Parts: sequence; C-alpha cells; structure tokens
Amino acid sequence: MQQASLGTAPGRFPPAVAATELLRLDSITKRFPGVLALDGVGFDLRRGEVHALCGENGAGKSTLMKIISGQYQPDEGSITYKGEVRRFASSLDAERAGIAIIHQELNLVPHLSVAENIFLAREPKRGWPSKFFVDRSALRRQAQACLDRLGVDIRPDALVKSLSVAQCQMVEIAKALSLNAEIVIMDEPTSSLTESETALLFQVIRELKEQGVGIVYISHRLDEMALIVDRVTVLRDGRFVDTRSFADTCVDEIVARMVGRSLDDKFPERTSIPTSEVLMEVRGLTRRGVFHDVGFELRRGEILGFAGLMGAGRTEVARAIFGADPLDAGTIRLGERAITVKTPRDAIAHGIAYLSEDRKSHGLAVKMSVTQNLTLANMGAVSNALGFIDRKAEEQAAWRYIQMLSIRTPSPHQVARLLSGGNQQKIVIAKWLFRQSRILFFDEPTRGIDVGAKFAIYQLLDRLAAEGIGVVLISSELPEILGLTDRVAVFHEGRITAVLNTRETSQEEIMHFASGHGRPAAPGAETT
Amino acid sequence: MSNPTTKVLEAAAQPRQPSGGSPQTMDGRVMNDRRKDLIQKFAALTGLLVLVAVFSMTSDAFLSVGNGMTIALQVTSIAYLGIAATCVIITGGIDLSVGSVLALAGVVAALAVKAGAPVPLGMGLGILVGAFCGLLNGLCVTRLKLPPFIATLGMMMVARGVALQITGARAVSGLGESFGELGNGAMFRIVRIGEDGFPDVVFPGIPYPVVLMVVIAIAVAIMLSRTTLGRHIYAVGSNAEAARLSGVNVAGVTLFTYVLSGTLAGLTGCVLMSRLVTAQPNEGVMYELDAIASAVIGGTSLIGGVGTISGTAIGAFVIGILRNGLNMNGVSSFTQQIIIGLVILLTVWIDQIRNRR
Repeated sequence: MQQASLGTAPGRFPPAVAATELLRLDSITKRFPGVLALDGVGFDLRRGEVHALCGENGAGKSTLMKIISGQYQPDEGSITYKGEVRRFASSLDAERAGIAIIHQELNLVPHLSVAENIFLAREPKRGWPSKFFVDRSALRRQAQACLDRLGVDIRPDALVKSLSVAQCQMVEIAKALSLNAEIVIMDEPTSSLTESETALLFQVIRELKEQGVGIVYISHRLDEMALIVDRVTVLRDGRFVDTRSFADTCVDEIVARMVGRSLDDKFPERTSIPTSEVLMEVRGLTRRGVFHDVGFELRRGEILGFAGLMGAGRTEVARAIFGADPLDAGTIRLGERAITVKTPRDAIAHGIAYLSEDRKSHGLAVKMSVTQNLTLANMGAVSNALGFIDRKAEEQAAWRYIQMLSIRTPSPHQVARLLSGGNQQKIVIAKWLFRQSRILFFDEPTRGIDVGAKFAIYQLLDRLAAEGIGVVLISSELPEILGLTDRVAVFHEGRITAVLNTRETSQEEIMHFASGHGRPAAPGAETT
Repeated sequence: MSNPTTKVLEAAAQPRQPSGGSPQTMDGRVMNDRRKDLIQKFAALTGLLVLVAVFSMTSDAFLSVGNGMTIALQVTSIAYLGIAATCVIITGGIDLSVGSVLALAGVVAALAVKAGAPVPLGMGLGILVGAFCGLLNGLCVTRLKLPPFIATLGMMMVARGVALQITGARAVSGLGESFGELGNGAMFRIVRIGEDGFPDVVFPGIPYPVVLMVVIAIAVAIMLSRTTLGRHIYAVGSNAEAARLSGVNVAGVTLFTYVLSGTLAGLTGCVLMSRLVTAQPNEGVMYELDAIASAVIGGTSLIGGVGTISGTAIGAFVIGILRNGLNMNGVSSFTQQIIIGLVILLTVWIDQIRNRR
C-alpha cells in the first residue's frame, strides 16, 4: 500500500520534469541470515536528476545501494536499467554497464598519481608484445580530459596522497566519468568536507546533472540537500516509505518519516542550570602554528559549545588540554589549583576526559569487548593492588552502564566492532563516566549517528550537565550548538573570536565570528 | 563506585532487569559466545590429538612416557620463545632477535662460569644480558620509533655478532657437571635398586626445563588474562591511539613486552646450553621463526590485539610432535620442513576462514 505512492509519484510532476527513466527497481527484497534487510522496496532514477536516499542507520540504504551497484543480488524483485531488465552479477558487471559508486571511505591508492588512480587496472597500453607497456602520455591526456569535464584544477601527475579529501573525491568522480558512468552513487560525500569544498562538490554535481548523469545521493546532512536534490526516497526498517519531490517537502518532514514519528523537538529540553562556580579556567593556551592565546572558563553544570569552521583549532585545543598533543604555553586551572598536563594519563587523573571525533581509530579498541572498553580507562576500580582484575566486579560495572545508557548489545562480552555507531559512542561515554570524569570534551559526538540515537546522546549531555559535570561540546552543526549549549566559544584560525551567550545569539552571529569578522553591524540579527 | 553521576543517570534510565544479573535471553547469547571460544580451542586440541593418534599407529615407540618427556623437553625452547613472542605480537610488534639473543645469553653465562662465577650467578648474568637486549629493542621501538621488524632485525645481527666475537666463534666447553643441572636434571625421578643390584628407573622424572615451561606458561597466561597489565597489552595491540587516550602507558607496556621477550630468550639460552653442557655461539639460528610459528598456529594475529598462551602452547606442541613423530618414522629433516611449512599455511588459512564468518 505504501508502494502505491511510488506509482503515483511521477504523476505529480509536470511532464517536462518527468524526464527519461534511467533505472527502476521494483519490489526488491533482500534477506540476510536472521535479518530482512529490504522488504519489497521500489526506487527509480531519471537522467539528470539527483535522487536522495534517506533513512536511519540500518534502514536499508547501503543494502539498496549495493544492490544497484551489483555487490549484492536481490532475492526478489527486478532491476530495469535503460528499459531492459538486468541482473548484475558483480560490481564489475554493473561498472561496465555504467553504474559507478563512490564510497564514503575513498578507494584510492595514495602513492600513485591522479591519472594512474583514475585508470587503475584499465591503463591505456602500447608496445609489443601484446601492448605490454603503459602508454603514459595517453594516460595523462585521458585523465586530463576527465578532470576538465569536471572543471576542477587538479594536475593528473599529482600524487593522491598530496591531495585534500575533497580533491580525492573529485578524482573518484573523474574515475566514474572515465567509466562513462550514467549513474553515480555517492555515499556520504560531504561527511569530511569543509563548507567551501562542499560548494565545489555541488558545483560538480550540477555539472554532471546537466550532462544527463543520474545521481543517487546518500547523506546524513539533510540541510545541504536543498541545494542539489530533486527527489527524496525515504526508507525505514528495510521498507519503502515514500518518494517525493524535494520541493514538496522539508527537512523536518523527511526526518519525521525516517524515524516514523514526528520529532517536534530535535533537541531535548535543557534541565540543567549552570552555576557560577568555575570548574576549569584556561588562559593563554598556545601551540605554535595551531592555536594562539586561547582562554575560556568552564562552569559547573554548563554545556559550553566550541563553534567554528573545520580547521579553526577547536579539536586541537581540546586535545592539548587533554594532554594528547603538546602545548607551548598557557595555564590550566581546576578551581584554585593550576595543573600541568603532559600526557592523557595526567589529564585523566585530574578528571578530564576527551571523546574523539574519530571513534573507530581514537576512541574504541574495536577488537576488545564492550566490558573491556568500558573499564579500560579505570582499571584500578576493578582490580586489586597487585593488578589482578576482579572479573565479577568488572562485569557488574559493565551491566550497570549498559542499562544506564541503554547500550544495545547482546552481551557485555560482545566485540565492540560489531555494535552500531550510536552504541559505540555510548560505550565511549560510559568509559569516561566509569572513570568519574568531571570535565568532558565531546568532539562531534553525533557524527555518523542516526537521528534517533542523536537524541539519546543529546539527552545524555543534558543529564551530565545537570549532575554538575562541565561539558564542552565541539560541533560543526550550528543547530546542535544553538539547541544544546549555554555559552558558545567561537573559533577562527586558532583564536577564540567571541564567547557568546547561546540564548542571546543567532546562527548568523556565530557564523560572523567564525569567519573572522568582527561583531555584526546590525544588532537586530541577535535573535534566537 | 560512589559516583554521583551514576545515581542520577540510573534513576533516569529505565531498568530492564535487576542489576548484577544477566537476563535470560542475553545469558543464552553469552553462553553461546563462550561455547564458540571453547570449540575453537577444542578444534586445535583435537588436531593435536589426531597427530598423536596417527604417530602412535605408525611408530610403536612414539606413545611412551619416555618419549612424552622427550617431546616435552624438545618443545621447551620453542615454548619459552613462543610465549614471549605471543606477548610481543599481541601489541602489534614482532621480535626477530630472540634466536641470536639466546645464543649471546648462553655464551655469556658459560664464559662467566668459566671465569669462576658460581653457576646460578653465571646463568643469572646470562638472563640479564637477554633482558638488556630486550630493553634495547623496546627503546628502539618506543623512543626511536623504529618499526619493530627493523629494530629487532638489527638486534638479531648485533647479538649474534657479539656472541661470535666474544667466543672467537668457538664453543665454550668444560663447564663442569653443575652447569648441566638445569637442562638435564629432573623432578620426581624415581629410581629403585633392582634385585640384580643395578639401578632401575621407575619414572624418568619431569625435567626441570619442562617444569619451568609449565610455570612460565601459567604465569604469563594469568598475567595476560587476569591483570591490568595484560589488559593493557591487548588494548595497545587492538588500538594504540585509543589506549593512549584512555590513559594507558603505551610506551611502557610495549617496552615491557620486549624486555619479557629478551628475558625469556636469555633463559632459553641458559637452558639450551645447559642441556648440551657446552655454549655454542651458533645456537638458536632461526628459532625466532619457530617461536612466531607456534604463536601463529595458536591463533595469535600478527596485526595485534588477539592471541592466547594456551593457543601458543598448542602451537608449540604441534611443531614439537610433528618433528618427533616424523623423525621416528624416518622422514628426512628436509621433508619435515616442508610439512611444517604447509601446516603453518593450513592453520592460518583455516583461522582466516573462521574469522571471516
């Protein structure tokens, strides 16, 4: 019955918009042992359109994407590509047919050049016997042609390891074009891009649209979608919810359909009341070439936001206070006492904790169990003087925190790698709660986490503040900063340009300071 | 655990079960995980038993108390080194120097005894030299940030060179009977004087090296699984940066594993030289590879973060029993190498398949 809306959807568009259909999936079902990943899902893509695929983690987006790109074969349902019913036996098969996929983790070889990467395993050959040698000039020429088509300024001879993430993305797109791709699937393309890089990517996407390429676009960043997306398909729990023209809907509506309930408030009500008692005072913090003369104070029970553009020094300041990176100058005082922090061990001993933005590589020991991760920062609490671990006490502690934070895991002995992003984040939070930390730095705590789990994390931040913990929230999402914090420190190029009262500021004012301008001229903008 | 934070959070959380106990459904999953682990261990052990069964059928002399002790004695050096290698490999490192370090340690012990030092003191000195080599390895890895492969490759050459240099490449012999006590003595040896007046060996006893092996294996196994140090070793191998940001002294833990490796290599050297009552500067060539092989056969991952002492013990015995059984069946040492090489490939391949699922 829900699928029926797919059939009616094209009818709602004027004929001019309803361009030629490129790809059509009908009632696709895919089962994995014990899981029905996709249940009769339909999807269609037209030439020259950007079709967004939305859903929470586990909704079936990546399974559907893998079916389109030939990595998985559907158990039921049909794929119609350019008017023909097709079955792609492998991703190579789909690639040959003109369907390219750009993964979130880019698949480039860092030590080869841009041109070599674009034509990897398809190098133009020449010579005898049987075209044994790579035709280097043809390689460079053809790569240049692909890059020109995108209108990006990247040298084909540059080594990929010298490129920025955004440039690597462009190379991936160029690679897709070199395959004469008619469909390009993009999985979270903007997750690690700065705003200007995102703008460049969108420019390229518009270029591709004009050339008639159909784009399947997957992203957690719904706000950006308005700039490029034509239609949106929402999936929930492996089922098709609906497909709509982006013009007919709004972000809130999409989110409501993703989670299956209306999210009146994206953020929980703040229950904590910040006190005037200063927990931590930081003055003149400097690390040459990275940040200069950074000072702020953190009060008991408040959530202090660190806003700013990527690379403004927010993460670096937090890491330095935590002892993960060296400091050149500056003082850190906890209450009356000045402390020296040389290593994370020192910071942890003083009750300071830092939750990295990069959970997998900096936060979790992914091969270890939930329990072992939980107690890692506070082994002393579950072991005797000789260092022998009291396993019973350890398991009890694990159970308590699993309940307290509603961590979804089959058992405390489950390997951390097998849990979802939101639950992994909760393990890291539990680790620091178990350490009885008094000051917590959260660096992009909701990155890559689905909407429902985000809300749980927000609630947790509020509860922590209510309990008298000083919380620093580093976030690139301004709504998050505005919705959760009490005060905001705005960073620009390694300096704090303003500390604002969240209730009296606005997105515009924060952006103003974040981009290095002074106080905005019109004070009228200072509304919430 | 009187964290004020936890109280509020506990109140806010919806309790789904009484604290401390596991709910029924989850309990079932826990048991399942543990059972899987047991089955894995069991599979390796079964392989070992199959080897024993096959060799017992092909050779009459294989299955006897005497040969059992011989195998155990032969396995000791692989086991000492394998146990050390396991700890190093769990942190994500590797120690290629143990074969040379054991030679240097044994030679130093012998030279000290030759120079008049009492045997325990001489051997203690040998073990200290091993520990010192391990310390240098560890410092190269943690301070100079050299890749473990390179650091220990360098030590492998240096230690061998020093051992050859200080002995002039000649064996040190004439060390006296007491030097051989550690390697050739036994506990619980029962000898009865027979009716004909000649001594009659009722039970050959448990050789000291075997006793040492059991003690070390149990001690290191407990250290790895039950102590904070052991937990930190796994954490460093699983994710060094996460461990550092959790307050683990990563450099210290890493250093410890190399010192342990050097110390056990020193001990191996002393035991080996004692068994021969002669110190050979050329002893122990390629032993590091046997040690790594036993760890790998036992399921230790070269990427780090995974491995157990019980697995390594099984791995060491697989190698030892294969050598002994093939010898008894008259298989040439060249063919033995081929077979052991294939066994390593097979076990690791099976391990890969198992982990892929």
